[in-house]
Amino acid sequence: MPPQPPPSSFSLGDRAFAALGAGRPDTATLDLLHRAHLSRHLLLLRELRLSATVEPDWFTRLSTTDPDQTRQWIADPMTGLWAAHALRTGAAPDAAPAPRGGHRLTAHHRDLSLRVRVDDSDPLRRSLGLTPAPALTPVQAAHWSACLDEAWRLLVDRHRAAATTVAAVLRVIVPVLPDPVAEGISATSAEAFGAVAMSAPVDGRSLAAGLIHETQHSVLNTVQLLFPLVEPGGEREYSPWREDPRPASGVLHGAYAYLAVTRFWRDEWRAGGSPAGGFEFARWREAVLSAAGDLLDGGRLTPAGERFVTALRAQAAAWRDDPVAPETARLAALANADHRARWRLRNLAVTPGDTGRLADAWRAGQPPPAVTSRLSSAPGRALENSHRLRLAHARVKGDAADRTGDGDAGAGDAACVRGDHGTALRSYGEALVKNRDDDAAWSGLALVAPQQALRARPEVVRAAALALPGADIVTLADWLSG
Amino acid sequence: MEPGQDGDGKPTEWRSVMIDLSGVSLTDLVTDDDESVLAHSLRRVLGELSGPGEPIAGFNSAV
Repeated sequence: MPPQPPPSSFSLGDRAFAALGAGRPDTATLDLLHRAHLSRHLLLLRELRLSATVEPDWFTRLSTTDPDQTRQWIADPMTGLWAAHALRTGAAPDAAPAPRGGHRLTAHHRDLSLRVRVDDSDPLRRSLGLTPAPALTPVQAAHWSACLDEAWRLLVDRHRAAATTVAAVLRVIVPVLPDPVAEGISATSAEAFGAVAMSAPVDGRSLAAGLIHETQHSVLNTVQLLFPLVEPGGEREYSPWREDPRPASGVLHGAYAYLAVTRFWRDEWRAGGSPAGGFEFARWREAVLSAAGDLLDGGRLTPAGERFVTALRAQAAAWRDDPVAPETARLAALANADHRARWRLRNLAVTPGDTGRLADAWRAGQPPPAVTSRLSSAPGRALENSHRLRLAHARVKGDAADRTGDGDAGAGDAACVRGDHGTALRSYGEALVKNRDDDAAWSGLALVAPQQALRARPEVVRAAALALPGADIVTLADWLSG
Repeated sequence: MEPGQDGDGKPTEWRSVMIDLSGVSLTDLVTDDDESVLAHSLRRVLGELSGPGEPIAGFNSAV
């Protein structure tokens, strides 16, 4: 056998790198990502072996197993998780890796196959970040299988490029318990390329969207292993996909995943004209553009990160002129504005000193001083939970009944979503007369009020209104907008 | 990571510090005592372990 050439560094041509940033990796790039993740696992296992004074059972077994089987085990997403966990904790790993169980599913449509393991037994699956579901019942396993078949047909028929990426990356699905405030939840660990934790899908289409989304996280994790895209550190920032502030790397993950989700809904909408697809497309297109712009302006990206995000933004911008129905566009813009208003009210606060200066200026009849809003929330995952968003979804789907929530804010939400800003304004105003600390009413007011201060910085108006309980809120908002 | 550049200073290729080990067996990797070849890759992979390691979570397939 001729001697093997020495290993070389990974590299990617600029054109391929930009295509990757635009969410369109070709097969050569997907192969490179696979080799990178395999190289990572080999290095982790090497360190694990060298950290043991006596040859561990798992290494002995690997050394005496068929090379193809060994390679499959090394490449498995859960192996990366296992090795990283063992190295981080310093705990002696299990004596020997058992053959991995779970439900092995194959979805085949036309000329493309997807082979995954639905893992409902490996104790390591807890490390994927969400609470694992117990072992699947036969009925639950059949549901996963049926949804996967349906999702795969949809992906291959309408989203060929995404299907190719999913087939190249996805290896393990870990069923998790649903989140009470979310209609579907999923997660990806940076240490488990090709594994996704996911609650049971409603149907094949939601599973397809979820798999595309999570696969993007795996791809991006490996891109960042090869080419760091974000400088470490920095303050947490606004992210259109989470209620909590996120570091720049988290914003990038969201933008990259939702770029693929945007493409998915764009293709769905163009194929079938579904208003729901048009809503999702219009909403996420703008969110991705906004997040990419914030990243490029934020000064946290490396040169590679700037190239990557520039390509990402260009892809989303290319879809900007794709028309959607005016009512769909209005509801999508409302959903994004709603998220931003709620995010500001949840996470930003005016300092007590600035609030005091606001109150003093008001009482003295002076113009408002400049004040700063600062992050005030504790770190921690929070998912979107909005009554108005649920109403918007219902309206998009043609549900004529305007389900109102409790109280004035609930009535305001129904009016807001149907575009009756006058009624919404009165309802939110009445809600705040009863309780000035009602954030649902404040965020609604931020969507329909004419005052710029309420629309752009509702947390400042709220701070002033709470410090000046006798002041009229509309007059305060006018003053702060002056 | 450093970009290769063309005559205009624009990157033509993005080069990683990570080495492609996909063709190497684990046994060979363990017995190879030339740490210098692996130094950058090891630092990159092991450096990740000291990070927060927070899973990216939150997709809400609402429609």
